[in-house]
Amino acid sequence: MSSFFTRNRLILLAYLGMVVLLLVTALFSPGFLSESSLRSTLVLAAFVGIVALGQTFVIIGGGIDLSIPWVLNSAAILMTLLCAGQDLPLVWVAPLILAGGAAIGLINGVGVAIFGVPPIIMTLAANVILQGLILVYTGGSPTPSAPDLIKFLAVGRLGPVPVIALIWAALALVASVLLSRAAFGRHLYALGSSATVAEFSGVPTARTIILTYVSSGLSAALAGMLLTGYSGQAYLGMGDSYLFTSIAAVAIGGASILGGSGHYLGTIAGALVLTILTGLLPALNLSSGALLVVYGAVILVTVSLGSETFASLWGLIFRTKKRKTEGD
Amino acid sequence: MTAPALPVTTEPRKQPMNRWRGWLLDRAPFLVACLMLSVIVAIYGALQKGVFTLDEINLDTAAAMTLILAATGQTIVLIRGGIDLSIGGMISLGTVIAATQFTGDPLNVAMWSALILALGFAVGAVNGLLITALKLQPFLVTLASWSILNGVAMLILPTDGGSVPGWWIGFSYNLILGLASPVWMLIGLIVFWYWFRATRLGITIQATGSNEKSAFLSGVSITRINIITYGLSGLFAAAAALYLTTQTGAGSPTIGKDYILPSVAAAVIGGVSLFGGRGHLLGTVIGALILTLIGNLVFVLRVSSYWQPVMSGVILLVAVLASSLAEKTARGQEQ
Repeated sequence: MSSFFTRNRLILLAYLGMVVLLLVTALFSPGFLSESSLRSTLVLAAFVGIVALGQTFVIIGGGIDLSIPWVLNSAAILMTLLCAGQDLPLVWVAPLILAGGAAIGLINGVGVAIFGVPPIIMTLAANVILQGLILVYTGGSPTPSAPDLIKFLAVGRLGPVPVIALIWAALALVASVLLSRAAFGRHLYALGSSATVAEFSGVPTARTIILTYVSSGLSAALAGMLLTGYSGQAYLGMGDSYLFTSIAAVAIGGASILGGSGHYLGTIAGALVLTILTGLLPALNLSSGALLVVYGAVILVTVSLGSETFASLWGLIFRTKKRKTEGD
Repeated sequence: MTAPALPVTTEPRKQPMNRWRGWLLDRAPFLVACLMLSVIVAIYGALQKGVFTLDEINLDTAAAMTLILAATGQTIVLIRGGIDLSIGGMISLGTVIAATQFTGDPLNVAMWSALILALGFAVGAVNGLLITALKLQPFLVTLASWSILNGVAMLILPTDGGSVPGWWIGFSYNLILGLASPVWMLIGLIVFWYWFRATRLGITIQATGSNEKSAFLSGVSITRINIITYGLSGLFAAAAALYLTTQTGAGSPTIGKDYILPSVAAAVIGGVSLFGGRGHLLGTVIGALILTLIGNLVFVLRVSSYWQPVMSGVILLVAVLASSLAEKTARGQEQ
């Protein structure tokens, strides 16, 4: 049991932090634990969580995806343009957009895995090129409103549960199975721990790297389409804030940016923590500047807790506890 | 079997088969950057009158100087083998402090400028200390401090505004021997670089970036090197902020993020390796000039300004592919 705790302590800590935050927020703004308020927090967290799904895979594999903002934004803009407010075109538009997101991920992955381009540079270049091309194509003009079906998926609900929370849960299940039960997950952790060792152990490293970026492109494109349903339409710059939050959610969830560790279950907690924080600060009458300060502090504290220095401290505490129980 | 992206440290080659080829391959990324800059200047010069004049040099250097200063700090950190995302926050914070505190009195301006520079170094030093003491990754630490600094800037000045004295804004119009002060700053920066890289500190930073373990075993204090490296990066970010206020005349709590990734891009285009140990400020300056001149190019080509990010992305990819190709060829030659 104790090994389970030590192995997953960062993820457990993230959930503990989330519960504490939830209680603190409820203390300062009593309405926060109401059904409607919790629901809207969950909806906002779902967008962060879906975007951060691909980022989790990429980071566990030792990379980083900076192309998320404009993959997301392009998906949103193209989807609303092609659908023109109608539901029916979604039949071909949605698969097309997802394929487009996957294609960008494929290009990123091939650049990183085959051509040896550093992930920061490859995905940064993809982001600016995509940004420019979409702006040239649309001329920066506003797009039609989102189809009703997308609006239903983003803000509708089945009984008391938001639809997007169900989508998020389904994706979380798939991601967790992939990480914990599938060969892909084992390859991914091996790759993130040491690319050289993984390569010599027969892990298909190039394919695994490419798959992480493809999944990141897919999740960003999906989130982009769903986000139009939340905001009513696509607008320029709607993906910008998701670069920081996706990386922050993964980091708060306990993954190491050097790769090899972390789990999507941690990222879920990270996404919830970030979203609850955005709800807490207005309750405390704090501005968006203060929110950024708190975000930074939370990231610093969580990554410090995951550092080697704290790991040895943590091991010490657990060993003493174990001895105590044995003494009893 | 395809090789995964591994952190490659290049040690000095022992006996290259052909000295000239070795020399060329070593400088391939820099030479490619020079070539790209020449092509851009040539197209620009062909389509626009008066490109090859002192005025134009003065104007373009003035436009590129903020990025050059930010990228100078980034270059030092990259050579050390790290990355500094916090410069975006420091630049925002610097402009905001300057725009709210500067009065017309030169003594006041000098005092606050010194304070901003000192703050930049201090913030960077804290980054370096955290990275070493807690064994944290530079990417996350500086991402967090970017967020904190940006937040503080927004608390001081929620929206763009404030002002700086008129004579401060006139800084880049001061001509000495026909050259504007930014050009003299650039010359000073390059002189500084040639001095700095030959100092004990400069060599140690490069050695630590090449191979941290062997540097440590040779008696280098990693803590000290990290504090100084990130401190210098913060210092240059603060300098970039001060310079930026001479251009915009105001403070902005959000402007800094426009320099984070471009500073990395400028360095990488100029041949600085993201894996540490390699790079030269001259390359970074060329990279920054390329990124700045693309804007002019888009203007004279009369195409939509939205092509600017596309071009910079393509140039970035070309540069990085050229350097990885040169690296592979060089290694193939050795074997």
